[in-house]
This record gives sequence, C-alpha cells and structure tokens, in this order.
Amino acid sequence: MQRRSLPINRYPTCAFTLQYHSRVHSLVHYVLVYGVSLIFINVLLEQLGAPVPAVPALIVAGALSRDGKMSSTNILLAAIAASLIADYMWFLLGRRYGYRILRTLCRISLSPDSCVRDTEARFERWGLKSLLIAKFIPGFSTVAPPLAGASGRGTLAFVAYDGIGALIWAGAAVAAGRAFHRAIDRVLAALENLGGWALVVIGCLLAVLIAVKWAQRIHFLKQLRLARIEPHELKAMFDRGEVPIVLDVRTTGARKHNPRAIPNAIIAHMDDVATQLGDLAPHTEVVLYCT
Amino acid sequence: MLIDKGYTKVRPLAGGLDGWLDAGYPADVIA
Repeated sequence: MQRRSLPINRYPTCAFTLQYHSRVHSLVHYVLVYGVSLIFINVLLEQLGAPVPAVPALIVAGALSRDGKMSSTNILLAAIAASLIADYMWFLLGRRYGYRILRTLCRISLSPDSCVRDTEARFERWGLKSLLIAKFIPGFSTVAPPLAGASGRGTLAFVAYDGIGALIWAGAAVAAGRAFHRAIDRVLAALENLGGWALVVIGCLLAVLIAVKWAQRIHFLKQLRLARIEPHELKAMFDRGEVPIVLDVRTTGARKHNPRAIPNAIIAHMDDVATQLGDLAPHTEVVLYCT
Repeated sequence: MLIDKGYTKVRPLAGGLDGWLDAGYPADVIA
C-alpha cells in the first residue's frame, strides 16, 4: 500500500518547523562547506584594516577542526595566505609612499592614532623580528607592514618574518579553539537554536564593536583638534617674535627618511621628552610633531 | 606624558612636518 504524503499547507505549524530546522541545518552546512573561504576573507579584511576581528572565527574553526568537521591545515593555510596578501600590499604601499602612508592608514583604521607613534618606536627597536608577534599587539599588526616597506626592509625577509608571524598568530587561535572545543560547541549549539537570529546577534555584536571603536576615535580626534596648532599659526607666532618650544619627536627612521626640521626645533625622544625639557616653566607653550 | 608632568600648553602641529613643508615654510636640514 502506498503511503500518502499529507499536503504540507494543511499543517502550517509543521511547515514552519520543517522550514526552520532546514534553515538552521543550511546555516551550519554553509559554515562547514565555506568555512575556509570565510576564514580567508575575514583575515584578509582584518589585515587590510577593516574592523572585523578574525580571531573569533579562527577559534571557532579550531573547535570545528577538533571535532573533525574542518581541516586545521586548510584553516591555517587560508589564514596565512590572506595575511601575507594584505600585509604585502601594505608593505608595497609603504615602500612606494614612505611614511606618508601611515597617515592614510590612520584615516581608514579605527585604532586610535596614538598607537601609530608607539608602533613606530617599537618597530624601530625590534626591526623585522617584531613581525613575529605584531598580530598579538592591537594596532601594531596593521602599521608594521607599511613601516617595514617605508624603512626599506628586504622583501624576502619581510615575507619570511610576516609568514611565520601569521602562522604563530593563526596557530595560537586555532589551538585555543581546539583546546576549548567543548565550550565552543555549546555556544554553537545555542546559536543553532537561535537559527536565523544567530546572524542578527553576531551582526549586533559586530556593530557594537565598530561603534565603540568609532566613538573612541572621534573622541581622540576631537581632543587632538582642540589642542593642535596649524602651520600658519605657528609661523605667525615666529613672525611676532613669540618663540614656543618646538619639539621634533619623530622616530630616528622618520628623520632619516626626511632629514629636515622646523627651524630651532629640539630633537627629542618621546620616551624622555619631559626630562629633556629640564626645568622649563609649566606654562611654556610647547609645540610638537611626530610625523 | 607632558601634560602629566604639568605642562599645560602642549599642542601638536597639524599635519606634522609635512604640513609645515606643504605650506611652503622653510625648514632646517638636520646634520
């Protein structure tokens, strides 16, 4: 006897449940099928400067690889390839445009501009070896490649150090995912239960992260705008005979790249600039530039 | 850092040295 299938539209609740579960399974299915590509795109965008953290995706991928659902080798290869492509692009831009590229980077990046000065000093101290841990330091991973290009480092050495650094960084995230795979599985199960709302939750979290970083940047730039002095204002002070203390606090590399300074500027190092100023009266006007 | 040390009038130069040079103002050569 043939079994007759009931027309689905006579049972709307069943229809909805069936469609709901199939959508959930589709979502998980797509993540597993396209996971490596998603990792590649995520890492590429993050290393180019977009505010889309890749570490959470790498940790989740690590957990899925522990369960045998994804290949950790493919995950690592995708992350390293994406990282090298993005970093090499910034390296070439740094080589082509020099230290000026850092200003463009600050415009598109949501990291506070103050980190650019700190990363310059850090890169100057450690050189290419800093690329081995650059991705673990907020802001440094984006600025280090163009700095390497601007300071004339060799291409092969850059690719080698950057590749190893990407392997260490991605490997640590994947290893963390594998180590905590049970907890991550529980989170994924909870997200699966949310179904389509999971994407809404993830989207909201990302939007909050971007909003917080944006607000930090706006606040920082507002403070900077209030305090800064325009070149024509400084020139007018010189013409009036008012002589503020002008400090050149650029890195050594930046000075070698552009061996000029504002007339009468004092060459200072950011680390001990206050010591170098000595017993200067606190109300003395100080103008400084680090680019 | 300077503000923490008590200096009250610390002002960054807009555009840095590049901004100064782009405005056409003279600069010294560092030895």
